[in-house]
Amino acid sequence: MATPEKPLYYLSIHEAQQLIKDKKLSPVELTRAVLDRIDKVDGQLHAFINLMAEGAMAAARNAEAEIAKGNWRGPMHGIPFAVKDQLDVEGAQARVRQFTKGVGDATPVRKLKDAGAVLLGKLHMSSMPGPELPQPRNPWNTAHITGGSSTGSGAAVAGGMCLGSLGEDTAGSIRNPSAFCGIAGLKATYGRVSRYGLAPLSWSLDHCGPMARMVEDLAHMLNALAGHDPNDPTSSSQPTTDYASSIREDIKGLRVGVPRDYIDECAPRTDPIVLKRVEEATAQLKALGARVEEVKIPTLNLATIANAVIYYNEFWAAHKSSAAEILKSGAAQRRARIYLGLLTNSADYIQAQRVRSRCRAELAEVFQKLDCLALPNQSGPAPRVEEVGPIDTLFKHVVPEYHGPFNLTGLPTLSVPCGFSDSNLPIALQIVGKPFDEVTVLRAGYTYQQAMKWYERRPAI
Amino acid sequence: MDKLIEANLKAVLAREGLEAKPGDLEQFSDIIELYMSTLKTLHSVNLGSEELGPVFRPEWANK
Repeated sequence: MATPEKPLYYLSIHEAQQLIKDKKLSPVELTRAVLDRIDKVDGQLHAFINLMAEGAMAAARNAEAEIAKGNWRGPMHGIPFAVKDQLDVEGAQARVRQFTKGVGDATPVRKLKDAGAVLLGKLHMSSMPGPELPQPRNPWNTAHITGGSSTGSGAAVAGGMCLGSLGEDTAGSIRNPSAFCGIAGLKATYGRVSRYGLAPLSWSLDHCGPMARMVEDLAHMLNALAGHDPNDPTSSSQPTTDYASSIREDIKGLRVGVPRDYIDECAPRTDPIVLKRVEEATAQLKALGARVEEVKIPTLNLATIANAVIYYNEFWAAHKSSAAEILKSGAAQRRARIYLGLLTNSADYIQAQRVRSRCRAELAEVFQKLDCLALPNQSGPAPRVEEVGPIDTLFKHVVPEYHGPFNLTGLPTLSVPCGFSDSNLPIALQIVGKPFDEVTVLRAGYTYQQAMKWYERRPAI
Repeated sequence: MDKLIEANLKAVLAREGLEAKPGDLEQFSDIIELYMSTLKTLHSVNLGSEELGPVFRPEWANK
């Protein structure tokens, strides 16, 4: 239960669900505490663009009544969550669609609602159209950015303004804000979580996924989110499992690969403190019983640019009918993606797909001998707001970096906090697994998180 | 911006009935030039008989 050291709004989903199940905590009490927290800190953090307080309280009262009658739906019942703008919500379609129509509740939103979770509202994302909204600030230091593009999703979870959020990741947009904000984030295997109702950036690279403070919370959310959706033609019918109960086994004997050549390739653009913290985390995995070895994945050095080529070309195709309006009034990043997509010809796109094919083959070979990969998740701690220009992200997307390769290959990838910089800004480890093996990725992250307890530190805000 | 790239961009914009927002070509010249140079890098690798990543699977019933 809440203590002065750990107020209700900082309970993990796992802690809250146990209290709710045991009827020691009411969803109404929890939701009210979170709404009070939003009222107190969102004026500084700017995570929410559409707070649905009335609907949230109604949903919480409904959850409370159901649970009182003995109809507990599962661990997400009564848990307050929020959603990146990019996902449609009934009555609040993705603003980023701008010129196209939404679908009502996106499947991931509907699935969380069906699991009894309480929708608090919609969250800011990078390159929002329309009048400029205040940029979300990092709860660890409000002079710094949250990372994007799931900007609000990172700030809201880290700031105690929801227990979990939904993000979207085309080139790192779940993992980057998770890393900068000191929370956990999962980009599950492509096809594992439906994209129906997600305003597209790039059909073959977009992944929807959960963000929360604890790895086990991601597992609870994934239990609700995973599974085939006939509305999404790329949704997979691969079997799912109970992720939350599958992650507690230890990692003794787990075979972890470190793609040293690739890290070295990215190292000139990576802050040494990130490399140091990731080295320490990898050593800790070894201390926990994992077998760590270095591996080579030769074509990974072209994976980021291949990801960018596919991203911009598919972005152009997805937005062709509204390109004139985007070029007239869209955000700088969106305009730039249109230009880059137009400059990409069919041979470029096909070459990028061939690189994708080669990368997948190389990774498949590596995963014959390994269970997961461990590598950095960011080039540095969150920069200060004034250090970041409107299209800086695009520069990162065309030189080798840590995120794009795993959108390109669709592999399940976890961001888990692995320490702090000297200026107390979070740093994260990235763990990559085999297709549809979210369990191993979550298990490695869970074991590491429980051992290191970085989650005991919280932002001062 | 490199004149050839600029002319190419203007031509494809015109083909699509589009116009660049005033100032954009200057604002985005660095990222456009970097992107075009990395496209050359992408083509520099010999992928042999490697085919496309996405594979057509005709089993409609199992979708």
